[in-house]
Amino acid sequence: MTITHPRRRVGQTLTALATLAGATIALTGCVPNAAPDAESIAVTASDTDCAVETAEATSGTVTFTVQNDGSTVNEFYVLGANKLTIIGEVENIAPGASRDLTVQVGPGDYFTNCKPGMIGAGVGQAPFVVNGEAVETSQEDDAVIAQYIGYVKSQTEELVPQVQEFVDAYQAGDDEEAKRLFPLVRISYERIEPTAEQFGDLDPKIDYRKPGALEEGIPFTGFHRIEQDLWLDAAIANYSTPEKDHYPKDDLVALTPEERAELGDQLVADITELKDKVAAPDFTLTLADITEGAKGLLDEVAAPDGKLPGEENEFGHTDLYDFYANVEGAQVAFDTVRPLAEANDASELVTELDERFADMFALLDEYGSYDAGFVFYDTVDETQRAELAASLSALSEPMSKLTAAVVK
Amino acid sequence: MLGTLMIGLREGLEAALVVGVLLAYVHRIGRRDVAKRIWIGVGAAVLLSMILGAILTYGAYGLSFTAQEAIGGSLSILAVVMVTWMVFWMLRASGDLGADLRGQVDRALVGNGWGVAAIGFVSVGREGLETALFIWATTRANDISPLTGFLTAVSGIVIAIILGWLLYRGMLRINLTVFFRWSGALLIVFAAGVLAYGVHDLQEAGFLPGPFAPPPPEAGAFVAAWFGESAWAFQLSHLIAPDGFLGALLKGTIGFSPEMTKLEVFAWFLYLVPTLTIFLRASFAQERERAARKIAATQKGTP
Repeated sequence: MTITHPRRRVGQTLTALATLAGATIALTGCVPNAAPDAESIAVTASDTDCAVETAEATSGTVTFTVQNDGSTVNEFYVLGANKLTIIGEVENIAPGASRDLTVQVGPGDYFTNCKPGMIGAGVGQAPFVVNGEAVETSQEDDAVIAQYIGYVKSQTEELVPQVQEFVDAYQAGDDEEAKRLFPLVRISYERIEPTAEQFGDLDPKIDYRKPGALEEGIPFTGFHRIEQDLWLDAAIANYSTPEKDHYPKDDLVALTPEERAELGDQLVADITELKDKVAAPDFTLTLADITEGAKGLLDEVAAPDGKLPGEENEFGHTDLYDFYANVEGAQVAFDTVRPLAEANDASELVTELDERFADMFALLDEYGSYDAGFVFYDTVDETQRAELAASLSALSEPMSKLTAAVVK
Repeated sequence: MLGTLMIGLREGLEAALVVGVLLAYVHRIGRRDVAKRIWIGVGAAVLLSMILGAILTYGAYGLSFTAQEAIGGSLSILAVVMVTWMVFWMLRASGDLGADLRGQVDRALVGNGWGVAAIGFVSVGREGLETALFIWATTRANDISPLTGFLTAVSGIVIAIILGWLLYRGMLRINLTVFFRWSGALLIVFAAGVLAYGVHDLQEAGFLPGPFAPPPPEAGAFVAAWFGESAWAFQLSHLIAPDGFLGALLKGTIGFSPEMTKLEVFAWFLYLVPTLTIFLRASFAQERERAARKIAATQKGTP
């Protein structure tokens, strides 16, 4: 038996370590380089500026070709949304030279920055937006997202004929029927509202209230414009109260059949557009969209112009239908991500949310149901509203932890 | 042009200095054959770096930023471990050598000398990859003459090699005991610098807390002090230009950068102060012991 000399063994170990470290270079952390004809984003770095050709890219592999036109050695950085985390950097760009930085980025907000002379905080910091789909998701995540998208689709598909029926009654001048359908037609919309809000211009057209439309200087259309016309007496009374007296009153007149036709058709068109956008093959959501959407639904109930203060349907006072639908939408979103939360050891949170949802629904059930109708919200007194608020915030609080429990 | 030169100098200096000390070591103990192995290690590192650099620049795949920093950072820390181990091994070996150093040193030298060669390999390879990426990119650049860019960058490395060679020559001239002491001390100082920017690389990659990450939510004041703006120990780049000669020299020798984080400075001191103290104490103790043995031997010799 040969006895290895201990010192030799140390030497061999170190050589092996060095080889291992070398091998690591070849095996890990590779990103695809840009193909020769692939597009890269040109960056012109100078001593005072950092001009990035375009401030937008699609998620995946993004290559920046940084040309240093300055007089000193430069560095180029892609930073995270917090402006601190380094997503990628290319150092040692000599004056006159050009170097590539290839990064893999998911959708989100980033910043680009140059550091001429390698000094200080750098120059030319500019926002950089990456659109598109998340780079990596697991199969479980994908399945959950697909399930939720399926739900959103089904809601928008139900919405279109319901809205058509409501608009038909309204355009035909059957105000009683329109008033009966108004809270019911909003149910599907209120369940998925955060998704509609993603499309930017659609939610303002469909669901803005008068103060919101005035504030943003857009025409007041959609559900609430029709609501105002249906409950015109309530609207006139409402806008004569001291706190709302400063709002213009020129629209507090009954709409003509032609105006009704235009308004109704537009709502149907907008709702149809929403359905089509959700059904588009490239429509996608992230897990965080789902969980944050669930929280967003509860926040909408509690918002100063939401259902809890009775501002959502300020003329029809049908806020409890919306309230119920928002909570239902939040529960569906929560139920969809439940397996992921449980897999991430968040069973306690899941149990707590189950209890809070049950409490919230039990309390809301005291005020009615979709079938039997809910009481008008102006009959709900301050004590009862405080009770609803308490139950809602007890639910919102654990809900705010859901994203962290699901998205790892 | 000067900027390109400084990049080559900065990246090449520390590797050249370590290799200079290594060569001086094996020369002083009369193991020219090991010198050959060091050159093989260095050559392999240069070659591998250039090949990998070329592949990563021109090939279908590049290295992700995180991987680049993680590899650089962990190779730095590996280099520190190896250099430290070697310095103390040398100290013990030189102690064992007795009066006639040259005659007995053949017994063993760090695993037949391949250990020393490995240190040369890691020291060069660590900076080599980044330098190779830079050199290939400079060569590819269209706006300046590729040849000029390439030659300027290489000139910086040549200056680094000359400085390493001067150190080597100087080391050969000093007395042997003093040589072992100061070359060891120098290596420890270089290693502290390597450790500091190894830490910096790992901070940039997000593996260690630093100025490139916000404090975690609900972090206490103590934890928060290691993140974000408060993670910097000092930022003196307005006083010492990082792309100037002084900046390059300080960075390439003691690892001083005009912008350092608390964690870097902390790691630098935590390594340097105890290691250097222990090494110098052991070195001086050894000298005293040897002197005492000499006196004892002389006394025995006289009747």
